[in-house]
Amino acid sequence: MAERKVELKVFRYKQGQTPHYDTYNVTVDENTTVLVALQDVRRDQDTSLILRHSCHHASCGTCGMRINGQEQLACVVKVLELGTPTVVVEPLQNAPLISDLVVDMAPFYDRYNTPEMPYIRASEFWPKTDLPDGIAQYTRYENCLECGLCVSACPVAGTDSEYLGPAAMAAAARVVAEPRDSDPEFALNWVDNEHGCWRCHVAYECTEVCPSDVNPGEAIMSLRGALTRRKFRRVFGLGK
Amino acid sequence: MQEIRTTHDAVRPKNPLRAWFDVRKRNLGSWAFALNRLTGLALTVYLFLHLAILSKLLQGESGWNEFLALARSPLFLLLDIILIFGILFHGLNGIRVALVGMGVGARQHRRLFWVLMVIGTLLLLVSAWKVFTI
Amino acid sequence: MSHFHVVIIGGGGTGGALAHDLTLRGLKVTLVERGEVTSGTTGRHHGLLHSGARYAVKDKESAIECIEENTILRRIAPGTFEENDGLFVAVTDEDVAYSHSFIEGCGDCGIPAQRLTKEEALRLEPNLSEKTIMAVRIPDATMDAMRMPLRFFATAKKNGASVKPYTEVREILRQGNTVTGVKVVDHTSEKSYEIGADLVVNAAGPWCGKIADMVGVEVPIRPSPGVMVAVRGRWCNMVINRLNTSSDGDIVVPQRGLSVIGTSSWVVDDPDKLGLPSDHIQAMYDHGALMLPAIKDAPMRAAWSAARPLIGPRKADADTGRELSRTFKCFDHIDEGVEGFVTITGGKATTLRGMAEAAANVVCQKLGVDEPCRTRDVVLLPYTAYYA
Repeated sequence: MAERKVELKVFRYKQGQTPHYDTYNVTVDENTTVLVALQDVRRDQDTSLILRHSCHHASCGTCGMRINGQEQLACVVKVLELGTPTVVVEPLQNAPLISDLVVDMAPFYDRYNTPEMPYIRASEFWPKTDLPDGIAQYTRYENCLECGLCVSACPVAGTDSEYLGPAAMAAAARVVAEPRDSDPEFALNWVDNEHGCWRCHVAYECTEVCPSDVNPGEAIMSLRGALTRRKFRRVFGLGK
Repeated sequence: MQEIRTTHDAVRPKNPLRAWFDVRKRNLGSWAFALNRLTGLALTVYLFLHLAILSKLLQGESGWNEFLALARSPLFLLLDIILIFGILFHGLNGIRVALVGMGVGARQHRRLFWVLMVIGTLLLLVSAWKVFTI
Repeated sequence: MSHFHVVIIGGGGTGGALAHDLTLRGLKVTLVERGEVTSGTTGRHHGLLHSGARYAVKDKESAIECIEENTILRRIAPGTFEENDGLFVAVTDEDVAYSHSFIEGCGDCGIPAQRLTKEEALRLEPNLSEKTIMAVRIPDATMDAMRMPLRFFATAKKNGASVKPYTEVREILRQGNTVTGVKVVDHTSEKSYEIGADLVVNAAGPWCGKIADMVGVEVPIRPSPGVMVAVRGRWCNMVINRLNTSSDGDIVVPQRGLSVIGTSSWVVDDPDKLGLPSDHIQAMYDHGALMLPAIKDAPMRAAWSAARPLIGPRKADADTGRELSRTFKCFDHIDEGVEGFVTITGGKATTLRGMAEAAANVVCQKLGVDEPCRTRDVVLLPYTAYYA
């Protein structure tokens, strides 16, 4: 196993103190992810370093951070594949900082949860198979991991504190596309304002950083399309 | 509807300069976005500059003639080209945003950008030729 | 000094479920966790809601716990699981031979098991190996390893429990032989403070040996890591298990757009030092592909290790951990002369509620609280309420 020494430059902040960067030397091999390297720092060098993590396989969405300036999930980024002798690790943007790499996800979930977003959906894999007795339909979890990478990367979220943000609007677009027990009209009304889908200015950075193929950029555009069609219908009195 | 907390961060206050113009590690969309803000701001400044210069007319013929002489200098003509670039970029990118927003080319927003930019470059070359030859 | 009835150390599934249980019984609860909740073992398991079938032959106690909790969790946490059931697939004659004791074991433990022919199995799961001989259907499901336990945390918080992540225990406070609270450091500010308690519960999973060391009591815990691999693509809708005794790479759990292959097993002394052996990653691919050949060429999304908290002699000779039971135990350390300190450990994600019930029973009995457990019936809040 090829072990190498790499420098981690980590954003540090403790409440009531001034933010700064700390540098740690870590030994990594080809399997070591940024997440594991940070955990090693916590274990061997600095127990005060805190970060969010849980599933370690890009499913829970907690370990989102900025690695060398780019929003990524630390659990799936291998240190050596970054190819830089120093790896800069910073917390996500556009979320209140709690400490070190930990941001407050409460504003994110305020938005995310509003359109009554179910996180189980019909499975699109092998739709034509037999179903076991007693199972009406195969289901699966939604793609969105609620990691907040898209909100961090969005230039509009960078200035508008009330912007609903890409993840929430992608969730709203899912409700419109597949309403299940939710109300698509509610979701449409929710995004139809100056902090909603009309605020987007098509930088598509959300889609670029999404680790789970949600494509929020296109979702926001589909909401605009749905709202435009709805307005046309209303203006020309074509009923519902 | 429930109360939604803002994403305001007291430790790292929002900074439009950084949010809009720091395009390091960013992709095409962000470059387009940043350039769009930049040209937008510049065109706004230009609009007021334009009105200020037009107001020279009020000061009589000689002042205006002096300005016209200046306006024909090569340096000034170059500024004209930059102005035309701003108008073309902002306008064409606006068309891209509008088209993508209406669902036209939502998946092809990169290709759409480059097609419009090719059109923009051609128009810019034609304008430059006109500016320097008339 | 603030005063609570019970301090829980460890923000994994067990701690969360225990906070929920004790809060429902009217106790004041503070839960401390050194990192983010579910950042230890809980969040990192492969996301299987066990039917118990895996243990039905050799570890009936665990199997019965699993099927009971499986049924309860579906009831109290609706909308949390990919409820697609599971298959145990036989690809060798040895597997087929095992199927008889397997189905019998499932019957003994009350796990519904239905024998399927190769054709029936392939119609359900077209990606199964052509070598499939037969299969058994059992009520497995996929859970989100973080969001399911988060519903317990959310409900406990709503009912008044105080959940403190990034709060690390530095010292267990004692007066004579009685534990009276904990001294913690809040890593968001690096400030230390004390929390008084009538009783402290050690629910630190594989780390509970380290916590027990602070008190000077013994917990027979073997941190036993396993490697898991997530590949891109969802190669099955149901959970696919190998119909044989427990071994490396004997399960594929579909989850979102991924398939998670688990798992290997060895033992370590320090749950913070697991490593990630490359040969184990390859083994997951190789064994997983025996059941679902498409896995062989599926691109890897992630590989990681997680430490199971298995109950077994702590410093015994190294073994693989496979022979240790997956059951859980609650230790009242009064047996070692320490009052006010209880450890709950072992078990599995599927049995988190049952573990909490067992621990809460001990806690309530010690404190003289006469309240029944209500967690079998109280429907949990959605996980998003945790952030409310």
